[in-house]
Amino acid sequence: MILKVEGLTKEFGGLRAIDNLSMEIPAGGIMGLIGPNGAGKSTAFNCIAGVYAPTAGRIFFNGENIGGQKPWDLCKKGLARTFQIVKPFASKTVLYNVTVGSFATCERRSEAEAKALEVLKFLNLHDKKDMLSGNLTIADRKRLEIARALATEPKLLLLDEVMAGLRPSEVDEVVEMIRKIRDSGVTILLIEHIMRAIMALSDRVVVIQFGKKISEGEPAEVAADPNVIKAYLGDEYVAS
Amino acid sequence: MLYIIEDAINGILMGSIYGLAALGLTLIFGVLKVINFAHGSLLMVSMYVAYWAVTLTGLHPYIALVLVVPVMFIFGYLLQDIVIKPIFKAEKNVREPITVIIVTTGVWYILDNLTLLIFGPQYRNLEANPLRGKMLELGEMLISVPKLWGFGAAVLTTLAIHLFLQRTATGRAIRATSLDREAASLMGINAYKIYNLAFGIGTAIAGVAAVALVPFYNVFPTVGVLFDIKCFIIVVLGGLGSIGGALLGGIIIGLIESVAPQFMAATWTEAIVYGLFLLVLFVKPSGIFGVKHDW
Amino acid sequence: MTRNTLQRLLPLALLATVLCLPLAVRSATYLHIMILVYLYAYLTTSWNLVGGFAGVLPLGHAAFFGIGAYTSTILSLQYGISPWLGMLVGGVIAAAVGVLIGLPTFKMRGAYFALATIAFAEGFRVMVENIDKLGPFALNGPRGLQIPPLNFGLAEMMFSGKEPYYYIILIMLVAVLLLTSFISRSKLGYYLNAGGEEPEAAMALGINVARAKVIAMAMSSFLTALAGTFYAQLNLYIHPKSAFSLDLSFEIAFIALIGGRGSIVGPVLGALLLRPVSDFSRIYFGDTLPGMHLIIFGVILILVMTFQPRGLQEPLTRLYERLLDRLSGERRAA
Repeated sequence: MILKVEGLTKEFGGLRAIDNLSMEIPAGGIMGLIGPNGAGKSTAFNCIAGVYAPTAGRIFFNGENIGGQKPWDLCKKGLARTFQIVKPFASKTVLYNVTVGSFATCERRSEAEAKALEVLKFLNLHDKKDMLSGNLTIADRKRLEIARALATEPKLLLLDEVMAGLRPSEVDEVVEMIRKIRDSGVTILLIEHIMRAIMALSDRVVVIQFGKKISEGEPAEVAADPNVIKAYLGDEYVAS
Repeated sequence: MLYIIEDAINGILMGSIYGLAALGLTLIFGVLKVINFAHGSLLMVSMYVAYWAVTLTGLHPYIALVLVVPVMFIFGYLLQDIVIKPIFKAEKNVREPITVIIVTTGVWYILDNLTLLIFGPQYRNLEANPLRGKMLELGEMLISVPKLWGFGAAVLTTLAIHLFLQRTATGRAIRATSLDREAASLMGINAYKIYNLAFGIGTAIAGVAAVALVPFYNVFPTVGVLFDIKCFIIVVLGGLGSIGGALLGGIIIGLIESVAPQFMAATWTEAIVYGLFLLVLFVKPSGIFGVKHDW
Repeated sequence: MTRNTLQRLLPLALLATVLCLPLAVRSATYLHIMILVYLYAYLTTSWNLVGGFAGVLPLGHAAFFGIGAYTSTILSLQYGISPWLGMLVGGVIAAAVGVLIGLPTFKMRGAYFALATIAFAEGFRVMVENIDKLGPFALNGPRGLQIPPLNFGLAEMMFSGKEPYYYIILIMLVAVLLLTSFISRSKLGYYLNAGGEEPEAAMALGINVARAKVIAMAMSSFLTALAGTFYAQLNLYIHPKSAFSLDLSFEIAFIALIGGRGSIVGPVLGALLLRPVSDFSRIYFGDTLPGMHLIIFGVILILVMTFQPRGLQEPLTRLYERLLDRLSGERRAA
C-alpha cells in the first residue's frame, strides 16, 4: 500500500467535513475518489496533501505516518498534488513553471531545466515551453498543473478535478495523459466529476458523501450500488 | 491619583478622535484590501478645508461639517476613480495589490507637498473659536470640551457606519464586495463603483475627524503624517478591517499617550506604542479584540 | 559585428564609461549626485531580493541602513575598529534583525508585513533618539554621531575627495547586481518568485515559502546595512532622522516600482531617473519651492504605474533589444 488512510476525521469549528474515512491505495494503480458536491473530497485531499492537519485518524504514506506534515515536506517525500483552481506562476514561462517543480529533487538550474524539458516532452507541452503561463488556454493550464507536479518526481500524484471545464475531446487527451503517467510508475489518486473519465481510468473507486465512505469497489460495482445512485440522484451522470 | 484619572479621561477622548481618523482607513482596507497611505494626507486636506471654511465665514467650527463632509466624499471618490482605479485594473490578477499601496504613497507625497507649496510650512489654528481651551470642570478635574464633542462624534460615526453597512442595500453591497470581489461582481455589483464609494466614505469620515480636531489642533502640511502612523497602529490593534476595533484601538493609543508620561519621559511613550503594535502583530495579528471581520 | 558580440561588448563599454566618468566630471557636486545614484541603485537592488523576488512589500529598510551606519561608526569612534570590519558586523546584526522581523510576519497577509516593517524601522528611530548610551556604546540620542575627519585613507574608508567614494560604491553596486542576477537564476530565485506569485502552489511543489523569504530577508538586510556604513563614511555625520529615515524606506520602494520590481536592471534605471530629479530640484527649487521634488516623485510614480505597471525596464529593454538589432543588422534569435 502506498497510501493508507485510517479513520481520518477533519472538523472545522464543530462542522465535521470528513468523518472516520478509511481507504487504501495500492502502488501502481489509479484510485478514483468521487462524491456529490460538498461531500468532502477536497478536504480529504487537503488532509492527505498536508494543507490541513487531521482532527483525528492517521495517514500512512509508504508506511510512514504523515498526518500533520507540511505540504513541502510531503512533496519531497514523493507526494505531489494539483489544484482544482489552477495556480500557474502567471508572469513566468511554462518552462519556468515546470522548473520550479523539478528543483524539488535537485539543486542546479541546468539539471532542473533539463528535467523540466523531459517532463514537457513527455506530456506534449514542449512546443509551448516559452509561452507565458498566464496566456495559456484552460486545457493547457491544466496540463501545466500536471506537468509541474510531475516534475517533482512523485510516487503518488493527487489530481484534483483536472478535467473540469474541458471539452470532451480535451478530456480524452487528459485521460490518455493520466494513463501514460500511471504507466511510467506513478500511483494516482483522482478526484473527478466527469464520470466517463473516472470509469475509464480507475482501478478502484471510493465514493463519499457527507464526509463518510458510502461505497467502494471496482467502477462497475460502484456504479451499480444503490447507495451511490441514491446519493447522486442521477444528476451527476447527466453532466457528462 | 486624580491627575491620572483626569489624564486618562482626556486620553480616552483624544483616543476616540484617533479612532475616528482611523475608521476611514479600516473601511477602505476592508473593501479594497489596500492600506491607504494617503489617509493621513486626506485628513490633513480636510483640516485645511475646515480651517478655511471657518476662517472665511466666521461661523461656528462645527458648522463646517456640512461643507467638509460632502467635499471630502467627492474628493475621495474622484481620487479612487481617477488615480487609483486604473492601477487597480492593471494589477487585477495580483493577490496583494502592492502597486496600489505604493501609489497611495505617491498621493500622500503630492498632497502634503502641494499643501506646503500653497500654504507654507506655518502652523495655523482657529484662535478665536468659542471652543478653544474650553474646559468642563468635573470636581477638581478639567475635561476638554472640544475633545468631549469629538468623542461624541467618534461614537456616533462608528455607530452610523456600522448601521449603514448592516442595514442598507448599499452597505450590504459593500460588505459583499469586501468578502469576495468576484462573487459580488457575478451578483451584478460593480466592484469599482463600490471601491469609489468606500473610498469616498472613508475620506468623508476623515473629514468628520478633521472638523472635530480643528477647534483645538494645529493645522500644518505634515499634520497628516502624525496621524498616518497612529492610524496604521490603531487599525492593526483593533483588527484590520474592523469598524468597532478602530475606535477601541484609538482609545488604547490615546490612553497610553496620556497616562504613560506620568511614569516616564514623554518621548518614550512613542516607543511603547510601537512596542505594543509589534507585540500585537506577532502574538495576535487579528487584533487585540480578536475580531477578524465584524462586517 | 554579430549580435552576440555586441550583446557582450555593450555592457563592458558601459562599465568602462562609468569607470572613466570621474576623469571627465571634475565637479564635486555632479560626482556626489552620481554617488547617490549608485547608492540608491545599490539599496534598491538589495531591497529587490525581498520586495521584488519574494513579492512582499518591505517598507522599513531604513532600519537596516541605520543599523549599518551606527554599528560601524560606533565601533570606529569608540574602539578604533576599521569601518570595513564594522561594516560586516553591522551587516550581521542587520541580518539577524531581518530574520527576527521576517519569521513572524512572512506568514501574514502582505499588508501586515508592510506595516510591521514600518513599525520596526520607526521603533528603531524612536529608540535611538531616546538613548544616549546603550551599555558601553554612546549613541548620543537625537544629536547623532560625528566622525572627525582625521585619519584619511582606504583603511579608514575616509577620503578628502569624492573619487574614492565613487569607486567604492560603484564596485558595491556591480557586485550586488552580479549577486542578484545570480540568485534570480538559482534555485532560491525560482523559489522566491514562485512563493511570491502563488504561495499555495509553491508549497505543493516542495517549497517552504516562509523559509525562502526569511533567507532573502537576511541577505537583503545584510546588504542594506553595508550601504549604511558607506553613507556614514561619506557624510561623516549620522543622526536618527537621517539614518533611520522613513522617507528612505519609501524612496527605495518608489525607485523599485518605477524602474521595475523584480527585474535586475529596474532598480538601476529607477535610481538613474529619480535621484537626479530629486537632487536637481533641490538645487534649483530648494529655497523657492520646498518639497517640489517629492511632488515630481509622486507624479512620476503615478504616471509610470498607470501606463507601465511593470516599470520602465519593460519598454526600455525592448528599446535596447531593438537597438541591438539595428546595430548588428541581425534579428534577435527567437
